[in-house]
Amino acid sequence: AEPGAMAAYLTHQQKVLRLYKKSLRHLESWCIHRDKYRYFACLLRDRFDKNKDVKDMVKATELLKAGEEEFWANQHPQPYIFADSPGGVAYERYEMYKIPEWCLDFWHPSEKAMYPDYFAKREQWKKLQRESWEREVKQLQEETPADGPRTEALPPARKEGHLPPMWWHHVTRPREQPM
Amino acid sequence: MDLSLVLNTFMLLTLATLLTPILFPPLSNNLKNTPHTIVSTVKASFLISLIPMTIYMHSGTESLISLWEWKFIMNFKIPISLKMDFYSLTFFPIALFVSWSILQFATWYMASDPYITKFFTYLLLFLIAMLILIIANNLFVLFIGWEGVGIMSFLLISWWHGRAEANTAALQAVLYNRIGDVGLILCMAWLASSTNTWEIQQLPSPSQTPTLPLLGLILAATGKSAQFGLHPWLPAAMEGPTPVSALLHSSTMVVAGIFLLIRMHPLFNNNQTALTLCLCLGALSTLFAATCALTQNDIKKIIAFSTSSQLGLMMVTIGLNLPELAFLHISTHAFFKAMLFLCSGSIIHNLNGEQDIRKMGGLQKMLPTTTACLTIGNLALMGTPFLAGFYSKDQIIESLNTSYLNTWALLLTLLATSFTAVYTIRMTVLVQTGFVRIPPLTPMNENNPAVMSPITRLALGSILTGFFLTSFIIPTKTPPMTMPLYIKITALIVTALGIALALEISKMAQTLILKKQTPLSNFSTSLGYFNPLAHRSSMTIFLNGGQNVASHLIDLSWYKLLGPEGLANLQLMAAKTATALHSGLMKAYLGSFALSILIILMSTY
Repeated sequence: AEPGAMAAYLTHQQKVLRLYKKSLRHLESWCIHRDKYRYFACLLRDRFDKNKDVKDMVKATELLKAGEEEFWANQHPQPYIFADSPGGVAYERYEMYKIPEWCLDFWHPSEKAMYPDYFAKREQWKKLQRESWEREVKQLQEETPADGPRTEALPPARKEGHLPPMWWHHVTRPREQPM
Repeated sequence: MDLSLVLNTFMLLTLATLLTPILFPPLSNNLKNTPHTIVSTVKASFLISLIPMTIYMHSGTESLISLWEWKFIMNFKIPISLKMDFYSLTFFPIALFVSWSILQFATWYMASDPYITKFFTYLLLFLIAMLILIIANNLFVLFIGWEGVGIMSFLLISWWHGRAEANTAALQAVLYNRIGDVGLILCMAWLASSTNTWEIQQLPSPSQTPTLPLLGLILAATGKSAQFGLHPWLPAAMEGPTPVSALLHSSTMVVAGIFLLIRMHPLFNNNQTALTLCLCLGALSTLFAATCALTQNDIKKIIAFSTSSQLGLMMVTIGLNLPELAFLHISTHAFFKAMLFLCSGSIIHNLNGEQDIRKMGGLQKMLPTTTACLTIGNLALMGTPFLAGFYSKDQIIESLNTSYLNTWALLLTLLATSFTAVYTIRMTVLVQTGFVRIPPLTPMNENNPAVMSPITRLALGSILTGFFLTSFIIPTKTPPMTMPLYIKITALIVTALGIALALEISKMAQTLILKKQTPLSNFSTSLGYFNPLAHRSSMTIFLNGGQNVASHLIDLSWYKLLGPEGLANLQLMAAKTATALHSGLMKAYLGSFALSILIILMSTY
């Protein structure tokens, strides 16, 4: 598995850190003023730090479970969510402008004539994509384990002159915000 | 000079000016709309509409014109008639002024949008539909405007239709408005069948009006003006861009329901049932919305609930039999509510899309003009003496206090007034004062005149409108002249109590005590638990019922039971009963056959 990629199961450390981060965010939703938030955040950090050297996994898991229940009881009903995060105000706001790149093939020749350089190069890139697609699929089929992929990370290109798998999908991705 | 001719000409010219960006570009080869041309069109329209209003204020001229008549059936003709009376002549300049300011603001706010011209065209279409609704003299033309504003509301709320919540909110708006439309159509049907006309002058007298059409009208106002029961669409409608919220869901569209009740007021002048229903519904709406606004953290939702609360107050005024006062409140409310939305839009854009007041603070030093106008708007909303809101709101509360009507409604309205002060001060304190909590490195400036001049214009309007309107209109009902001092200053005391409470709670929020969830705060945060209860229960009933109709009624009953399978079942039933009768005793049967044949043979010999 690639270092830094998502695996199939969470480690205990990841679960504890996720609990800590979401409880800090909900604490921030409750304590609006920064000095008050910093005070209670320090208290929370101390509570986590007291149990950080517990070596017994059973006890650690029980502590984690109690922590999750306490979080559930004290969560904020309208937690602060960043605007671009899922559930935020601006999430998916510009999805309507993200049209796929194959729509460019359906432009009228008079419209294509407005961007001659781009469309001249575009045919070469598409030819490259068609040629390398089989190799990308073969590489992915060889490298994926039998019962499904373990992570979401894509492998890099293994041989000289090959392109990494799904490069076209990445290169032609739409902008985050429209112009 | 024939003033009424001038009046008619200029009103029609106003409407025609607004229609030019819609009609001319498809007909010509080179003419293309731009946001700037649409803003100039609305500005010109506003300036033209000032002339009829001045004529009315100077000489009291009103008029009624009848354009083409639709000869529907033999004895029911529907003219396209337009009424220029106090309401339409005063509301036209107000609506156009507010729209001009909002459109000018939108040239900055939506500048990065690829389809900005389509956005402006939608707003213009909405404005035209709203003005048709205002100027209508019969329910047919009003219904055209009514549906028009509903459709444009749908299209504008779902402007960013890639977002699932925006589409849901637009559907919510359409469905709730549709439920209200049922009431309006009921009233139209009753009017057509009993009085054979839809004209407003020919409304029957209140003694001849049964309560049912009035209930229909109140249902229509509940749907369109987000009274309690059909209110969830209004906070959800904040999914649309801020200019949409400012134009539709604060100043113009949501007052259409109240405006309908004002127009049809002669019908329920004396009908105590309808008036009491209006009073209680309005009081409940205003308190419920004010309660929900107390714990909201999204700045647009706070202003949305504030709008809902003021609409409830307008409904209370209708219930007090004071339509002109309701209209005055509509007019003054348009100014300061639109300004509040524009200020919040300026803050949101300057903070790069941040709408949560928990991440705003100390903006007074960074955006001085915007926050000053926000404060003016909030003061006007709370009914500060001699700003715009005072003239309408204080009079409403005085009339409510001195009338002999429902005390419960009075208490609810007073409580809602103090809550208004509470959430307004909360919003002001968290947004403007204190230390800064915004994400760092935001490019904040107030340099663009496209933002600043609309906001300052509307601020000027919020300060002066109340005074001007009350100076120039002649009330048809005498306001209460004498009352004890404590009744006269009730609204002020209640607001001052609310301000004191809010400041105290803000101070307490800065001390090192963690907030606990209480049932009351949970009620407020979950918006009264109304949304999940109403939506899920009604949707399960409808979908289950629909499934039953499709599978049981149609498939099972019509196609099977009444056809082949039913016949087969009948036969089966008969066959089973017959089969159960015999018991298979062959010898007994043969013996009985033999015996019967023997007896027959013997009896024939």
